[in-house]
Amino acid sequence: MHRELVIGAPADEVWSVVAAPERQAEWFPGMVSSAVEGTTRTVVAAAGAFFLEEILAIDHDRRTFEYRITGPMVVHHHRGRISVLDDDAGSRVVYEQEIDPKALASVLDGAIGDALEGLRDLVLHGRTSRAWEPPASTGGGVGS
Amino acid sequence: MARRILFVTTDQQRYDALGCNGGRIARTPVVDRLAATGIRYERAVPQNVVCMPSRATMLTGQHVRNHGVWMNGVPLPADAPSVAGLLHDAGWRTGLFGKAHFEPFLDPFLRFPESRMGRHRQPNEDGRPHRGFDHMELAGHSGAGLVHYSGWLREHHPDHVASYYPPIDGTMDVNAAGGGETGAPQVGENPIPREAHHTEWVVDRALAWLDGMADADDWFCWVSFPDPHHPWDPPASEVGRVPWRDLDLPAGYPADREERERLLDAKAPHWRRWYDGDLVSNYEVPAKWVPATLTADQVREVDARTHVSNELIDEALGRLLSALDRRGWDDDLDVLFTTDHGEFQGDHGLLFKGPYHVDSLMRLPLVWRPAPSSGVAPAVVDGPVGLLDLAPTFCRIAGLDVPGWMDGAPLPASTGEWSQRKRPAVLTEWDSRHPSGAEVHLQTITTDGMVCTRYEPGTSHDGSEGEMWDLSADPLQRVNLWDDPARRSGRDDLLAELDALLPDRPAEPLRVEAPV
Repeated sequence: MHRELVIGAPADEVWSVVAAPERQAEWFPGMVSSAVEGTTRTVVAAAGAFFLEEILAIDHDRRTFEYRITGPMVVHHHRGRISVLDDDAGSRVVYEQEIDPKALASVLDGAIGDALEGLRDLVLHGRTSRAWEPPASTGGGVGS
Repeated sequence: MARRILFVTTDQQRYDALGCNGGRIARTPVVDRLAATGIRYERAVPQNVVCMPSRATMLTGQHVRNHGVWMNGVPLPADAPSVAGLLHDAGWRTGLFGKAHFEPFLDPFLRFPESRMGRHRQPNEDGRPHRGFDHMELAGHSGAGLVHYSGWLREHHPDHVASYYPPIDGTMDVNAAGGGETGAPQVGENPIPREAHHTEWVVDRALAWLDGMADADDWFCWVSFPDPHHPWDPPASEVGRVPWRDLDLPAGYPADREERERLLDAKAPHWRRWYDGDLVSNYEVPAKWVPATLTADQVREVDARTHVSNELIDEALGRLLSALDRRGWDDDLDVLFTTDHGEFQGDHGLLFKGPYHVDSLMRLPLVWRPAPSSGVAPAVVDGPVGLLDLAPTFCRIAGLDVPGWMDGAPLPASTGEWSQRKRPAVLTEWDSRHPSGAEVHLQTITTDGMVCTRYEPGTSHDGSEGEMWDLSADPLQRVNLWDDPARRSGRDDLLAELDALLPDRPAEPLRVEAPV
């Protein structure tokens, strides 16, 4: 899966957001939270499911962030990479993923497309995604 | 005088499930009575044989290439036209209860309104109609998922959320685990009490909404039963209604293995490849199940459980219609009953569904009981009609012009009316790209007496393959006439007619957003 988007902001500014893995839920629509402990990130999705991820690398020189989903669902292989590149119009963000089971590919592909637009909204307009709950919130979030 | 339309659908139900269509196993007196006092269609044809494309056709009255939902997992665009929207804008109250599936089920990030509405147990989003429906309460095929039924079950019967057979396994494939007494795939023991099962819940919720209607209200109510679609796990308390050991094998199941395989070899190559376990062309089929392993006893057990579900649906519908009759509404009530596509249920040695345009999947139950006040006489229509004709029919009932964006035409009320149709043939399409890389593309025309399928190049076809069936001479569709030189001219005529019906392919197909 490969999605990319040009954002009218300097690459360093965009990278400062991407390089903070605990902030992903602020710009990834449909994520409630993205808590980091050491190299493990726990993402809670709006439907109630959660993903465990291992942070593989944060390369400030190349402006790339790499991670992989480790559970709890059975995942034979996953790699996710977000790259922030210089662009004449500001910066170009490339979000790539590989996953097996392949049945999840289409689900993630659409979601990362939304995520790039959410990143642009946050960087350019300060708008956080609708499902995100700030860490200090005591609200129940989504649910019945 | 108020007008009322009750649109009832099942899921993955065969034509011969109903007594009025010759079914001899499930007792279906409610639908049989609708047929006896209404119009029964002997050749109702879907425009696609999987759920999302077929349901999009029912809602829009459009061919697949025009609404764009070419495969499961492709959401109907948010701005797609809808017959419910037309009715809503004309002042009708509109509701849908049960399975919608205009948007993907698998949606962990709640990208789609149906998921958000279900998760938060809201009948709409921000008080606005969704796809023209004022009120939606949704269900799927199990106790889990992002549907209103799951939230209701968690609240009222938390011990039974996990009672249903899990449709998906731990590797995100459709579950192939065997169950029951024969180890048939997708068969499970479901201890849920009947009153908590989604068949009953769908009717309960529809009645709760209808209870709020005034006598003067015009309303359109789509009651969409998720059954008898697999998993085959009706409430365990009801399974004994149809003892599988007492059933004969279906007429469409070739019991002799050699004959079965010979018949498959006479069809396009993907039939045999799937049977042997060499090909999985669509996500809806358990990838780990090999059809060649299907036993005669498994066919009987699946058959029996399906018919249990067919009976429960009929009885639930009877409960609904009785309640409407007690309100004094029957005289001005149109009732339409159909399904989105069929099921192999043992025919050709197969279960489930896929890119196979034969009667098992393509010949559907369809009954229209016009409002008694309309004075329309009972009839049987034997010429082919499509599910794309439903939306125009709702328009006609409501006294609305059929909009130009609908491809269908109002259902004929008699064979005489059918013979006056401008286009008496019906189109069915299939396009699929499986995560494994398998691609299958076919189009089929159904006319009065013939079915002709053309395959486009894909991973199992080079574009020369096809199937042609003479429905009168060969109702079990065992003699493929595609390569018969004596039928070449007839075949060419059918293909020309197919091309005349086929809309242009969209320049860019809509994106697949989930596997289902």
